[in-house]
Amino acid sequence: MDPANTPLGKMLLDEITPVVMVLSTPLVEEASLKNHLSFVQMLSPFCSFNNIDVPVRTASDQPYRLQKFKLRLFSASDIRLPNLEVAKERLKHFISQAGDKDDMFSDPPQISNLLASSESEIQPSWFQFFNKELVRTVSFSEHEAFDHPVACLLVVSSKDEQPINRFIDLFNTDKLPSLLNDGAMDPKILKHYLLVHDNQDGSPEKAAKILTEMKSTFGSNECQLLCINSSHDGPVERQDNPWAPYESDVSPSQCVGCFLNVDDSNEIKDLMQDLSSKHIIPYMEQKIRFLNQQVSATRKGFRNQIKNLWWRKGKEDAVDSPDGPMYTFSSIESQIRVLGDYAFMLRDYELALSNYRLISTDYKLDKAWKRYAGVQEMMGLTFFMLDQSRKEAEYCMENAFNTYLKIGSLSQQNATRCGLWWVEMLKTRDQYKEAAVVYFRLCSEEPLHSAVFLEQASYCYLLSKPPMLRKFGFHLVLSGDRYKKCDQIKHAIRTYRSSVSVFKGIMWGHIKDNVHFRIGQWYAILGMDDLAVKHMLEVLACSHQPKTTQELFLRDFLQIVQKTGKTFKVLKLQLPQVNISSLNVVFEDHRTYASPAAATVRESLWQSLEEDIIPSLSNVRTNWLDLQSKLIPKNYKESNVCVAGEAVKVDIEFKNPLQIPISISRVSLICELSAGSDDASSSTVELQNDDDFKNLITNRDMSSDNVSFTLSEVDVFLGGAETTVVQLTVTPKVEGVLQIIGVRWKLSSSVDGFHNFESNHMKKKNAKGRRKSKHSRSDNLKFIVIKSLPKLEGFIHSVPEKVYAGDLQRLVLELRNQSEFAVKNLKMKVSHPRFLNIGNQKNLNSEFPACLERKTNSDPSCVGDGSSSLSQNVFLFPEDTLIQEGTPLLWPVWLWAAIPGDINLYITVYYEMADISRGMRFRTLRMHFNLQVVQSLDLSFQISPSPSRLHEFLVRMDVVNKTSSESFQVHQLSSVGCQWEISLLQPVDTIFPSQSLMAGQSLSCFFMLKSRRKSLISEDKISTLSPVLGSDVGLGPEDSKRPLFDVSSSPLADFHHYERLHQEMSHQGDPNAVDFILISRPLTSGDSETPHLFSHHACHCRQVPYQNLGF
Amino acid sequence: MATTACFIIVSRNDIPIYEAEVGSAAKREDAAQLHQFILHAALDIVQDIAWTTSAMFLKAIDRFNDLVVSVYVTAVFCRYISYNLIFSLTTSLHTRLMLLHDSRNDDGIKSFFQEVHELYIKVLLNPLYLPGSRIASSHFDTKVRALARKYL
Repeated sequence: MDPANTPLGKMLLDEITPVVMVLSTPLVEEASLKNHLSFVQMLSPFCSFNNIDVPVRTASDQPYRLQKFKLRLFSASDIRLPNLEVAKERLKHFISQAGDKDDMFSDPPQISNLLASSESEIQPSWFQFFNKELVRTVSFSEHEAFDHPVACLLVVSSKDEQPINRFIDLFNTDKLPSLLNDGAMDPKILKHYLLVHDNQDGSPEKAAKILTEMKSTFGSNECQLLCINSSHDGPVERQDNPWAPYESDVSPSQCVGCFLNVDDSNEIKDLMQDLSSKHIIPYMEQKIRFLNQQVSATRKGFRNQIKNLWWRKGKEDAVDSPDGPMYTFSSIESQIRVLGDYAFMLRDYELALSNYRLISTDYKLDKAWKRYAGVQEMMGLTFFMLDQSRKEAEYCMENAFNTYLKIGSLSQQNATRCGLWWVEMLKTRDQYKEAAVVYFRLCSEEPLHSAVFLEQASYCYLLSKPPMLRKFGFHLVLSGDRYKKCDQIKHAIRTYRSSVSVFKGIMWGHIKDNVHFRIGQWYAILGMDDLAVKHMLEVLACSHQPKTTQELFLRDFLQIVQKTGKTFKVLKLQLPQVNISSLNVVFEDHRTYASPAAATVRESLWQSLEEDIIPSLSNVRTNWLDLQSKLIPKNYKESNVCVAGEAVKVDIEFKNPLQIPISISRVSLICELSAGSDDASSSTVELQNDDDFKNLITNRDMSSDNVSFTLSEVDVFLGGAETTVVQLTVTPKVEGVLQIIGVRWKLSSSVDGFHNFESNHMKKKNAKGRRKSKHSRSDNLKFIVIKSLPKLEGFIHSVPEKVYAGDLQRLVLELRNQSEFAVKNLKMKVSHPRFLNIGNQKNLNSEFPACLERKTNSDPSCVGDGSSSLSQNVFLFPEDTLIQEGTPLLWPVWLWAAIPGDINLYITVYYEMADISRGMRFRTLRMHFNLQVVQSLDLSFQISPSPSRLHEFLVRMDVVNKTSSESFQVHQLSSVGCQWEISLLQPVDTIFPSQSLMAGQSLSCFFMLKSRRKSLISEDKISTLSPVLGSDVGLGPEDSKRPLFDVSSSPLADFHHYERLHQEMSHQGDPNAVDFILISRPLTSGDSETPHLFSHHACHCRQVPYQNLGF
Repeated sequence: MATTACFIIVSRNDIPIYEAEVGSAAKREDAAQLHQFILHAALDIVQDIAWTTSAMFLKAIDRFNDLVVSVYVTAVFCRYISYNLIFSLTTSLHTRLMLLHDSRNDDGIKSFFQEVHELYIKVLLNPLYLPGSRIASSHFDTKVRALARKYL
């Protein structure tokens, strides 16, 4: 690639070109100002030539042709070091303007888009202008010669009095730039005399006369006439105005260059071309030749070099000022520099380079650091233009840059310029990474400039191959901070916003929070609160930050929100976090629950329990869904059903991610109930995306038609990092389709948080047997509301939480109906009949445990009574049972703690509506209890044959009290079955001297067991049918004579039946097996209100085989 | 002399799995942010360099003002070698231990890295630790801080 065509090459061909100083009289300016242009501005557009084609010879007479050429025109007053403060002010203004143009609302670019686009598209266009301005702030320094005017253009108007004298005066005034006056450059420069004639002032004849006079005075070649403002008939319309760049200086209504017609511009063009090709270039060429000879004579050759070195060594004690010694234009050093610069400007880079090299060592020896740096800089650029030795070029640039920095703050601007050129050089060679480092080094005390440099550095990282995105983001952030320091908030936001796409999704918490928090803050400063809040929301759930930072974030966020005075509706607000997977919906269709605990039980468990008592599913359809299908569209058959007036409960978990406590208020569900079912499908809410959801929320707030359902509202206080499950309810009041959409809450009175339940999988509680997979989540949260139904409420009075094993208690089940409609056909089933048995209505009022005592006129009919309910497994309430409003049904149930452990008992009650038209024919009530059973007495029996009698056995009973504190009083031991008869071997007093069994105490005693088998063989069948007919031995204190309990009647017999079934072993039906029941009472029971009775059952006890007896 | 040192372990997905400010300088509010920014940006450099060298200890690969980033790139750790070599190669390639420091104690830093690497391997050997998840072990934290005091 031709170096001249690279961006840096173009820049150099633009910036390092011969300067022409323009000296003009006020009348000239006046004439040109008619066009709203200064005279320099008027000429400037015609100063660059793309195809000038001038033949030039190098110093060594090599011919070549210059094609591109450019002159820089400056009026004499501008040829001085620019005022740094003014330049800074101008740049600041310019940057602010650029910031205002930014679109603050559009979305920041995505990183993939950035990577796909080219450099010019990514970077703001004003960077180039900014860089150019910075380069120009160090123009006209005396240590460099390329800014020193090559020629002087003296301009006098034809209207001026004594124009010839004016020409002479112009150059003689003290207004000449200091460069010429204080000897930094040769005041004998090329002069060109120009007479300007304004055609509006009359014909050019007078001007022509003056021109002849000039030619005779200054020489014919050096004088020219320029006629301007030739357009007589009003402003000229141009398609492409060459002065367009200057338009910004004037008001748009005025046309720039309005009086200059085509002839004028052609004339100017010719004038400039003539000036360049016939005067300036030959002049420079000549000067190069002259200086080259001069340099050769004094410095080239071995002798001169030795002399030079010797001479310079002698100057070592020279003052070590930063600028080094003063060099006048006549010194050989200045001349070498001028030679180099002229050669550079005429593209004779070889010559330029050799001279720069020569002078570089001299300056170094002289410790003229600034000049040294300047020469190094030019060497680097010359290497670049020669496209040689890249390393060398970079080394020179770095050397120059470091040297400038070393001198001190005065040369900071020079360093900046050098750095910018260096950067361009690196960029040209695709060394973007290195370029970025240089940009970073350019950062100085001036924060605004640093900000721009850092931003440019970031883009370098983006453009490097492979792109360094993290560096890109980091430098954008650094730049943003500097912008903010200079109150360029818009720029700060712009840079930060660009970095957002880089940092999206990373797990580096501090980075993400910092970016969003700052953007939020700055938007708030600009008053763009919506955007501020949007970004602030990103940092709210910053669980990894220290507590103070969390407080800061939250406080700032709330401040911004409060400042707006609006209530923000925030979808998916992260404070607190909603755990969607914890979502749990409990609703009651035909299945109702007595307690929340019952609702958490697995559905399959209930199903197996209810299998026998509810009509089969097909029956259900023919019975009540047929009726439904008339009311409800077919596609809703699969929907969930709930009943008007009954609450649907939703459990949802809230988590506070912060360490500081937060309180949220008015937590409630968002629901939609489309009343009526005529056109339900259209009125149901299909939420496609979040926007729909937002609209819905807004609409809902407008219309206050919450009459169709009521919502519960909960206030929650969440401590630091606390998690709470909140139960929310919605109670539909009318029939229709109810959909639960989401949850809403209020954070600190002005932020509304929303979370919809869409889009995630859900743990659904009441899944029926049918397939659920095809239903979306919204279906699961959709309910068909049917007419209100009677609903039974059931509970059991005073269920103990902890009982001892063997405890027998009578409990009362109460069933209530709040509705005005009666229910009938009640059925009930218990999951563990071993533990829970349904009693008789007549047990209800009788005294416990007296009702269990053996009646003196015991008749065996009661046995049959017990077995009838056992065989069916389902308890049927009497046919005429009807539960109506206000009259609860009380029913006794027996609880017997069979074995130690944690026992879950399930009860389901089936009932039918008395009024068949209510939509549902039946419902079930599900109850659940948990029971902790602890060990009490441990019972074991050993039976050995009596040594004396064939049909008698010796029974040894071992009882251990395994409780920790309870004492028991043994009451009675019964053998079950008609074929056995048990009797005491010794008097009771000898067995139980203390009458009680203390905690931990164990006891053994012997009984006599007599088989009645022989006599009862014919009744064998009966005995198996009714096994609970045995004999008892009273073990209580002799004197009390308390009646014995009847083990052959309900509920003891029932429990024994299940116990027997449970303890059943392989040798079932062994006629030699015997069952024992030990009944005891706790000693303390006398004090407590409810008397306790303990029964322990040992089933299938057999005679121990002989070999084990140890005879 | 107060030193700054920020130590981070970065998993293969560029997720920091352990962070600790182990310098003796007084903690500043924004320091943690800045350190994260610098280390995060330095990952770009690590990415470049890690392919060009086989060394594990990459000394002073990036700098920000007077803060220097040194990195220790762990070798492939074959935890699952017994049943799936390929899987192991892809899972634990290039976990990076990164230290942002302002001291010039290269030997100390290298020793620090080596010992922390050993600790890290011990963490990996814990069957309950899921590779790539955050290291929450307080034991590990204490050990790392002790090592920092010893070497940095």
